[in-house]
Amino acid sequence: MVAAFLSQWRFASRQPIDKWSVATVLLCGFLLGPVAALLLAALGDSGGLWAHLVDTVLRTYVTNTLILMFGVGGVAIMFGVSAAWVISRYDFVGRNMFEWMLLLPAAIPAYIIAYCYTDFFEYAGPLQTVLRTSFGWQSPRDYWFPEIRSLGGAMLVMASVLYPYIYMVTRIAFRLTPASLFEIALVHNKSQFWHVGLPLARPAIVAGLALVMMEVVSDFGTVEYFAVQTITLGIFNVWLGMNNLAAAAQISSVGFVFILGLLGLELYARSRQQYVSTSRSQTPLPPLPTSRASTCACWIVCIVPLSFGFFIPLGVLLGFVLRSDVAANLRAIQPIIANSVTVAVVAALLIMVIAGFIVLTAAFRAGPKIRKLALMASTGYAFPGTILAIGVLVYASQIDAVLRAVSGGLVSSFLIASLGLLLLAYLVRFQAVGHGAMLSGVRRLPDNLMNASRVLGHGYVDSLRKVVLPLLKSSFLAGLMLVFVDIMKELPMTLLLRPFDFETLATYTYQFAKDEMLEQAALPALMIVLTGLVPVILMSSMLRRYR
Amino acid sequence: MKLLRYIRVSVMHRWLCTAFALLALWSAGPAAASDTLNIYSHRQQILIQPFLDAFTKETGIDTNVVYAAKGLAQRLQAEGAASPADVILTVDIARLAEYAALDLLAPVQSDLLTKNIPAHLRANDNRWFGLSERARILIASRDRVANGAILRLEDLAKPDWKGRICTRPGSHVYNRALMASLIAANGAEAAESWARAFVGNLARKPQGNDRAQAKAIFQGICDVAIMNSYYYGNMKFSDDAEQRAWADAVRLVFTNQQDRGNHVNISGGGVAKHSKNKEMAVRFLEFLTGEAAQQLYGKINFEYPVNPAVAPPAELASWGSFKRDTLPIERLAELAPQAQMMIDRVGW
Repeated sequence: MVAAFLSQWRFASRQPIDKWSVATVLLCGFLLGPVAALLLAALGDSGGLWAHLVDTVLRTYVTNTLILMFGVGGVAIMFGVSAAWVISRYDFVGRNMFEWMLLLPAAIPAYIIAYCYTDFFEYAGPLQTVLRTSFGWQSPRDYWFPEIRSLGGAMLVMASVLYPYIYMVTRIAFRLTPASLFEIALVHNKSQFWHVGLPLARPAIVAGLALVMMEVVSDFGTVEYFAVQTITLGIFNVWLGMNNLAAAAQISSVGFVFILGLLGLELYARSRQQYVSTSRSQTPLPPLPTSRASTCACWIVCIVPLSFGFFIPLGVLLGFVLRSDVAANLRAIQPIIANSVTVAVVAALLIMVIAGFIVLTAAFRAGPKIRKLALMASTGYAFPGTILAIGVLVYASQIDAVLRAVSGGLVSSFLIASLGLLLLAYLVRFQAVGHGAMLSGVRRLPDNLMNASRVLGHGYVDSLRKVVLPLLKSSFLAGLMLVFVDIMKELPMTLLLRPFDFETLATYTYQFAKDEMLEQAALPALMIVLTGLVPVILMSSMLRRYR
Repeated sequence: MKLLRYIRVSVMHRWLCTAFALLALWSAGPAAASDTLNIYSHRQQILIQPFLDAFTKETGIDTNVVYAAKGLAQRLQAEGAASPADVILTVDIARLAEYAALDLLAPVQSDLLTKNIPAHLRANDNRWFGLSERARILIASRDRVANGAILRLEDLAKPDWKGRICTRPGSHVYNRALMASLIAANGAEAAESWARAFVGNLARKPQGNDRAQAKAIFQGICDVAIMNSYYYGNMKFSDDAEQRAWADAVRLVFTNQQDRGNHVNISGGGVAKHSKNKEMAVRFLEFLTGEAAQQLYGKINFEYPVNPAVAPPAELASWGSFKRDTLPIERLAELAPQAQMMIDRVGW
C-alpha cells in the first residue's frame, strides 16, 4: 500500500507540470478560501464552551441532525428515484407533462414551504378544520393529529422540495444507460430496476443525495420554524446567544466533517466499482407501454411528490395572493424580479463554467489527488448560509487588502460592499450543485471515449470540444437550471452580503414571512416559483432534444 | 416563431440593461463622504422606512439601507475602514453590545441624546443608545384565566400553571434577555430553578414566534404565554381577521408591578466607527429620539418611547401605564451567555 503510494508519487512528480491541472488547483484553492477562513476561525478559543455543550445539548443536536439527514435523504430517494424510473422507463398518458413538472418543487424555498405547511396542517388550518366539522370534534384534546412542527414534519417538508436534486440527475442516468444492459436483465429474467438501472445510476443518485444532505445540514429556516434542534440551530445559539463565533465555527466544522465523512465513504465504495462499456450500441431502451393499472401506478408515483412539494404549497400561496391587491403588489416587485433574475443568471453561468472546467480537468487530466481537491472545493454547501457568508466576508476582506497593497491604494475595495461579494458567495456555495451535475454527467461517459479521441490524434481541447462537451450538454443544462433556481431562492447570504437597497425576491419575501405576514409574502414567493418555472420548462424542452 | 424570437430579443435586451446597471452599481462601490446616510439595520426595512421618509423630509438627507437579521456586525468588521456604513440600528440590546464588544461603534457627544434618553437605556461611554422600549409581557386567556390570577413572572413556575403555558424557544434573543433579567433580579440559582419548573409547566414543546403563542391561546392549547407587547397591537390592528381574533382572546399582564417592574428590552442604534458622515449620523440618532419619531415608534409598531418627555400614542396608553424594570439595560447583554447556558440546561 505504502509502496504503491510512493511509486505513484514518484511517477507523478516526474510528469511535466500540466497547466490545466495547475489552473484547477488554483481555482479550487480560491473556492476553498471562505471554508478555510471558517476553519481558521474555528481554531479560536471557545472559552470552555464545549464542556457545557457536551453536557447539555450536543447529543440532541447531533442525533437530530443525523436523523434528519437520513430521513430526508431516504424520503427524497424514494420520491426522486421512483419518479425518475417511471418517467424514463414507461410510456404513459401525461408522461411528458410529469417529466418537467416533477422538477417544480425545486423552485419553492424551504422557508416558505414550512410556513405553508404549518398553515395547511395546523389546528386552525383547512385540513384539521374539515376533520373537526365532519367528525364533530370540539378541541385539540378530542383527537390526535400529527404535529407538523416536529422532526417528522421537517423530514417530509424538506424531502418534498429537495427530491428534485435526485430526480434530475437520476433521470438522466437512467436515460443514458445503454439498452444492451437492460436487455441482458431481460434475457436473464432479472429485475431491470434492481439489477441494472439502480446500480448503474448509483453515482448519480449519490451525487444528488450529497446535495440533499448538505442542504439539510445547512438549513436554518425550516428547523427554526419547526423547532427541531439541529446542529445549525446550535451554531446560532452559540454565536448569537453566547457571543462566541469561534465556538460557532467549531460546531459548523462538525457538520462539515459529517459531510466529508459521507463523501469519503462514497468515494471509497465507488473506487472498487468501475466499468467501461465497449458496447457499440448506446441507444436507450424504448419506454414500455402501460396497461390501465400500471398507468395508475405511474400517476401515483408522480403525483405524490408533486403534491407535497408543489401543489399544496402553491395552493396555500395562491390562496393568500388572491386575497391581496395583486396588481399593485406586482408593480412594486417588478424591479426586484429583474434584480433576482439577472444575478441568478450571471452567477449560474459563472458557476457552471467553473464547475465544468474543474470536473473535466479532474476527470481527464489529473490524478486522484486533484479529483479529491475538486470535490473538497464544493463543500461550501455544507455550511449554514449565514456562517459561510461570514467566511466569505473575511476572505473577501483579505483579497481586498491584497489588491489594495498591490495597486498602491488605487483599488480601495473591489469585493467588499459590491455585488462581487454576492457573486463570490454564490460561487462558493453552489459550486457543489454545478459540480454534482457535471460529475454525474462525466461519470456516465465511457472512459475510453477520451482515450479514443486522443489516440486518433486530437488534442485535449479538440477532444473536449468535439467529443466530450456535446455529450455533456444535458448535464450542463440540468446543473444550470438547478443552480439558477437555487440562487433565486437563496436567502441568508443574499440578505447579509447584498449592497445597499438591493432586494431580491427572496429577501423581499423574507421580510414579510419573518413576521408571518403571509399575505404580503405570498406574491413575491409565488414569483420565485414562477420565475423558476421558466428555466424548468425551457430546459426540459432542450433536454428532450438532446435525448 | 417570430414572436418567440421577438420575445427572446427583448428579454435579452432587458437583461443586458439590468446587467449594465448592476455593473455600474458595482463600480460605484462604497460611498465616500456624501450627502447620503448609509444604514445597517437589524430592523426590517418596512418598519424603518416611515422614519427614513420623515428624516429625509425634515433634513433633505437621503438614506440607503441594508437589512439583515444576523451577521451585520461581522460584515462591518470585515469591511473595516472601507465600510460605507454610518449608522447601525438593532432591535435588541444583545446585538448593540456585540457591536460595542467588537469595537465597531464611535463614541458620540450629544447633549440632546443624553437629555432624551434615560441613563439606564444608553451606554456609559456613549457608544450606543436605546431608541424605543419593547416590553416583554404575559398574555392570558380572557376566558380561562381570572383577572389578577397571575401577577409576577415568577408565578409561571407555580404548579397551578402545569400544562397551561406556551412560549417560543428559549434560545430566541427575547427569551434570552428575559432569562438574563431573572438572573439579575433573583440570582443565578433561583433563576435556574425557576426556569426548570417553568419548562415543566409548558403545554407544548417551545415553538413558533410570539404571535403563534397568542394563536395557541385562542385555540385553547394553553392559557398563558410570554409575548412582546407590540405583537398585541399588530394583531389587534391586523388586516387579517384571524389575527384580530387572536388578540381578542387575550388580556395583557404587565408583570412584577409590585416589585422590580416589567422586563423591557430596547431597539437601539449607534454611529459606525469608520463612518465618513459622523455628524449626519448623530443628527439621525437625535432625530429618532425627538418627539415626532418617538411617537412614530408607537404608531407604527406599538413600541414605547424612551424619551420621558414624549407621551405614548393614545392606543398604547389605553393598554395601561406600567412600572418598568430599570436594570441598566447593558446587564441583559452581559448576562446573556449565562442565560443561554441555563436555557440549554433546562431544555427551554
